[in-house]
Amino acid sequence: MTALSQGDVPAASSPLLKTRGLLAMALAALLLGVAAPRLVSSQLMLSLATQAIFDALLATSVGFLVLQNGRVSFGQAAFFGLGGYAFGVLVARGLMAAELAVLTALALPTLVAFLLGLVFARIAGVAHAMLTLAVGQAFYEIAFRWRELAKGDDGMAFNLPPRIFGFDSSLLQDPSVMVVVAWTILVLALLGLALFANSRMGQIAAAVRDNAERARFIGHDTTIPPAIVYAISALLAAIAGLLQATYNGYIAPQMFHWSLSGSALIMAVVGGAQFILGPAIGAVCFFILKDFAGRFAEYWPAIVGSVLVIVTLVMPQGIVGLLKAGWFRMRRQA
Amino acid sequence: MSEAIAIQGIGIERRYGGFRALKGVDITVRRGEIRGLIGPNGAGKSTLIDVLSGRVRGQPGQVLIDGRDVSRLKPQERRRLGLARSFQRTNIFPMLSVEQQLRIASWAVAEAGVEEVMEELNLTALARMPAAEISYGDQRRLDLALALVGRPSVLLLDEPAAGLTVEESHGLATILRDLANRWNVTVLLVEHDMQVVFSICDGITVLHLGETLAEGNVAEIRADQRVVTAYLGTEA
Amino acid sequence: MAIQLLNGIVYGGLLYLLAVGLVLIFGLREVVNFAHGALFMLGSYIGFTLAAAGHWWLGLLVSVVAMAAVGCLLDVLVFRSLRKHDHIVTVLITFGLLLILETVVTVTWGKAYLSYPVPKLLDGTVTIAGSPFPIYRLFIIVVSLLVAGGLAAWLRYTRMGLYVRAASTNAHVTSIQGIDVDRLSLVVVGLGTALAGLSGVVAGPLLTLSPTMGNYILIDSFIVVVIGGLGSFAGAFFAALLIGQIHNLGAIYLPWAATMLPFLLMIGILIWRPTGFAGSRT
Repeated sequence: MTALSQGDVPAASSPLLKTRGLLAMALAALLLGVAAPRLVSSQLMLSLATQAIFDALLATSVGFLVLQNGRVSFGQAAFFGLGGYAFGVLVARGLMAAELAVLTALALPTLVAFLLGLVFARIAGVAHAMLTLAVGQAFYEIAFRWRELAKGDDGMAFNLPPRIFGFDSSLLQDPSVMVVVAWTILVLALLGLALFANSRMGQIAAAVRDNAERARFIGHDTTIPPAIVYAISALLAAIAGLLQATYNGYIAPQMFHWSLSGSALIMAVVGGAQFILGPAIGAVCFFILKDFAGRFAEYWPAIVGSVLVIVTLVMPQGIVGLLKAGWFRMRRQA
Repeated sequence: MSEAIAIQGIGIERRYGGFRALKGVDITVRRGEIRGLIGPNGAGKSTLIDVLSGRVRGQPGQVLIDGRDVSRLKPQERRRLGLARSFQRTNIFPMLSVEQQLRIASWAVAEAGVEEVMEELNLTALARMPAAEISYGDQRRLDLALALVGRPSVLLLDEPAAGLTVEESHGLATILRDLANRWNVTVLLVEHDMQVVFSICDGITVLHLGETLAEGNVAEIRADQRVVTAYLGTEA
Repeated sequence: MAIQLLNGIVYGGLLYLLAVGLVLIFGLREVVNFAHGALFMLGSYIGFTLAAAGHWWLGLLVSVVAMAAVGCLLDVLVFRSLRKHDHIVTVLITFGLLLILETVVTVTWGKAYLSYPVPKLLDGTVTIAGSPFPIYRLFIIVVSLLVAGGLAAWLRYTRMGLYVRAASTNAHVTSIQGIDVDRLSLVVVGLGTALAGLSGVVAGPLLTLSPTMGNYILIDSFIVVVIGGLGSFAGAFFAALLIGQIHNLGAIYLPWAATMLPFLLMIGILIWRPTGFAGSRT
């Protein structure tokens, strides 16, 4: 049980009604995404937005681990990098069809995370933070030193095959297309997470997070549900890594680096890791903040650090928590 | 009361470091019986509950539920066979609502019975509340409710009334007696409140320094000189 | 070979200076200070500025004192005020501090690699087993041994050291027994960060200075702390020597193993004893 995951209990309203509301929200968000490239003409803006969505996916993946398992990871970039690298290396070497490479790039990190999760779920708190940091850096070291794999620390550019899943693959490197693809995936991912959290497996995982011992004594296995959460969380990170590698046509060890894991974690915490939407909103806030802070780019890490310190001290539930509290207050007064 | 044995522990030993908490205890609880397990602090009562429920292994020791050897089964497997327990220190899911955690508990065993348990234990009004926000007395009853979901065949209770007021613990005892009868639950009850024990138990086992000191019905135990000396004192 | 062993001891010594600071802080506050590497780096830069102006030893002194002061501030403002919160919140804040300190250094000294001079007194080499060996590296070994010895004596023979050992074993018991944990912690955290400053300066001439120089060694010292059994002073000492040797000998004979072995050791130990150190405390 961590303070970061002390969320409100989801109101146990009719699940069907809830699901319908979720679907409606997701549909509206999808339409907005399709319309975005027609509303925004600046290529630069679209390109930045695309990057922000990749960040949002990674932040969501870190936040989901906090929300469902109560575990803080400093190494989520391992799965981001693994997704990107698996795809980049397989495609660059022509080892398999691009479609198969996509599946491998998603399946491999998911499987690795599931196996690690069987063990990592037993380790809590600060030890978990240190462990994930070390595992993430171990992956980074491999990518950094293994020059034959993908040119080590230089990183490796690669060409996409002309068509992926029947579509012209060059479109995937066009911001006005990628922004829609990435947004759609993000919305569907958030919807999927919300459905998972309401599912039996998701609720059992939440029970294990709250009190693993009691979960055993009410008759539940406490190994598999958290491991599934690790796997889902890694799948999201891998999707983000795969998208970024495809979009840039380039992979580099920085995709594994702890500074990336750390910034995703910060986005999640600032947005509100105890809400499914929180991390993505945190990523968007940082995107906007970064735009404002453009002239002070030099100070960016310090800005991020300060925001993190202030948010953890002043509003531990993050931006979404603050908004929610404000919303309830307004409704009470109305 | 039938003569079938609901739960049985045979030759249970348990060490913690050099300390022998249990020195070969045998215990037999018949189906439908409410058995009190009493003794001074450090007698090994909680350890015995822990071994029976699978929290720790006997070293050695055998545990049988309805004649089936479950010594090697995990706690969750024993629960699915109908062996439930509650805890001395409140052990609930603080962030989940009362109803949600009972619902989750029901999935492992029965798929139903959440409403009846909430009703019987006066938790219905609190269904939507996060468990961390309800009163201590309500939390104790929630702890018990988590064990009662799905009408287990055997219930191990480790001081269910710990920290409750006199009225609260007597209320709890009444509910227990009543539910055990109606749902045919076999109960092994660790409790320090002798009024509770004497009022609801069919039989009593007395542990002392990791060994069985005495066994018998309420009258026999109250009259047993060794028990009086070791535990009950003269006023009981 | 003797030279290689000595080089391993040099790196192990540096790791020990950093890791023992983490152990001290963890013992009292049950928090792993993610900003420790950044303090190491900041200490190195402060020392460098004075050393470049010709005041090498003054740089050492100022850096140690400055980092001790930063540590006291850290203890009062962060660790003390957040002691009732979940420890992971504090860890997050130290992570934020790491980013802030890196920026402060980048803005003040720039991103370029800087090379820290060796003091004149310790310049030159001696011959050991037929090979030349820099005197400065011997100095590092001596410093870390002195610190290790001094710390061991302090923990063993002084009243305060006794309290620290007691608090490291069980903070709750000591606070009940009337020891002022806050005052104790101020000294201990200050000492821990002062050691980070010391190792930053001492390591300076061995490494090149950059705003990210603390990251690599921070992870190595995390590994040391975990392998040594978090909270154990002697454990940290031997683990640091072990990792130093793996780092150095492995880099020559088995580069792959040298990179991965420490990680694997750490992961293995955490899996082997998941609640061995942290679980029982949280």
